[in-house]
Amino acid sequence: MQPDLGSEEAAEESRLLARTAAGDREAFRLLFSRYGAALYSLAVRIVGNSGDAEELTQDAFVKIWRSAGSYDPGKSRPFTWAVTIARRTCFDHLRKRRRRPAFTVLPDEAGPPAGQDGGADARHAAEAREDSERLRGALAGIPGGQRRALELALYSAASHSEIARVLGQPVGTVKSWIRRGLLDLRDTLSPKKL
Amino acid sequence: MKPETEESACLYVLDRLDATERAWFEARLASEPDLAAFVGELESTLSRHLRTPAAADPPPTLLAGIDARIDLLARERMREHARAPWASIARWGIAAAITASVGIIAVQQVRRGAAPGRPYVIIVGMDSGRSTLAELPLQDRARDPDGSFIQLASLAERLWESPDGLPEKLRFAGPRSHGYALFDPASSQGFVAIQRLPATGLGKRYHLWIVDTASGRTHEAGILPLAVSGSGLYFFTVAPALDARPDHLDFFVTLEDTAPSGPVRPSGKVVLGDGRVF
Repeated sequence: MQPDLGSEEAAEESRLLARTAAGDREAFRLLFSRYGAALYSLAVRIVGNSGDAEELTQDAFVKIWRSAGSYDPGKSRPFTWAVTIARRTCFDHLRKRRRRPAFTVLPDEAGPPAGQDGGADARHAAEAREDSERLRGALAGIPGGQRRALELALYSAASHSEIARVLGQPVGTVKSWIRRGLLDLRDTLSPKKL
Repeated sequence: MKPETEESACLYVLDRLDATERAWFEARLASEPDLAAFVGELESTLSRHLRTPAAADPPPTLLAGIDARIDLLARERMREHARAPWASIARWGIAAAITASVGIIAVQQVRRGAAPGRPYVIIVGMDSGRSTLAELPLQDRARDPDGSFIQLASLAERLWESPDGLPEKLRFAGPRSHGYALFDPASSQGFVAIQRLPATGLGKRYHLWIVDTASGRTHEAGILPLAVSGSGLYFFTVAPALDARPDHLDFFVTLEDTAPSGPVRPSGKVVLGDGRVF
């Protein structure tokens, strides 16, 4: 069983963010070693090509460097904060280019798990590999509508009404599916169930 | 927990609330521990989902590219810092005097010596295995640390852009790593210019050291935030100020293991300059 990414890890990453805010490049590099692969993968999935994704991931990390001092641990965990920066960066890029994210063909979750970059420590890499296996099973167990709603909510800049149109459901149902999808994912990944 | 509260929490974690809804929800978060704990669970779920190894490997140049952009930001900030005092000074009508003083800086060899009492800065050229000291006399002494910074920044920028202005014995050529430290002993601040240092790799970083060659005492002058190019121009200060004759000062760069507190003394490989004194 692997430990949950809980408050201890969040506290450690909060400290890294505080050091980053003070101009500590080593702390920033440690944050990169933890977040780099995830944010890059997120960007690839949102914009659909590796070239833009690399540039947007750079943008996101520069924003993290510049705004680390504004992080508020009372509002979110550091990783959620970083993900929000990365997603908004990608969505802004798509809006500026007047390009829509791929509504109909979302990448499959399954695929050969790639190793983390050389900076990720062995513990995180091992945890991530375990998660990869569990996640594939977890997503497969989520009903299709909920899974699609959750993926669109996470990986696209589409509004709820746009998602509703794509899925052919009322907005209320879409929000409910997003909630159920995320809760199902939480329950499936819960250590209690493994 | 009510389904609508759960729904708000899910949309909050997914950054799908508008500004008003978000502010309202964050106010609740601050006063409802159970809700905060629930959001924490959702954040953990999202974190594990997104941290799962994906099909897309980050390119090996990603971190170097980020480093380069942050270095660029730092240089732009340094230029703004240098320009701001200029603007302020100009308002007081002193700009012309300082422009003249910086404009007629003469580059001379140190061993010939500057006129007694004349202000100067030292410059130490470094390549792999040796360092060379020279002295750059200044026309006027800066009135305060800000004025000294302006002089140094102007000189550093000019030498960075036109290396031909360096003393001849400090003009290193070829593909090897090299650099120089420009240092004002009066204000204990300076600039270091680095060219073509190889990437450090993870867990390593370059440290700049200043040493009093008479006593052998070594002080750390800073960590070099080098990007992928291995080149850059950086400001540094030495505190406390050194109690050493300027012609006994030397600089060198080492490659050190990263440590939370950083090394107190140089222990890694000397990559630039003559480190035999430490």
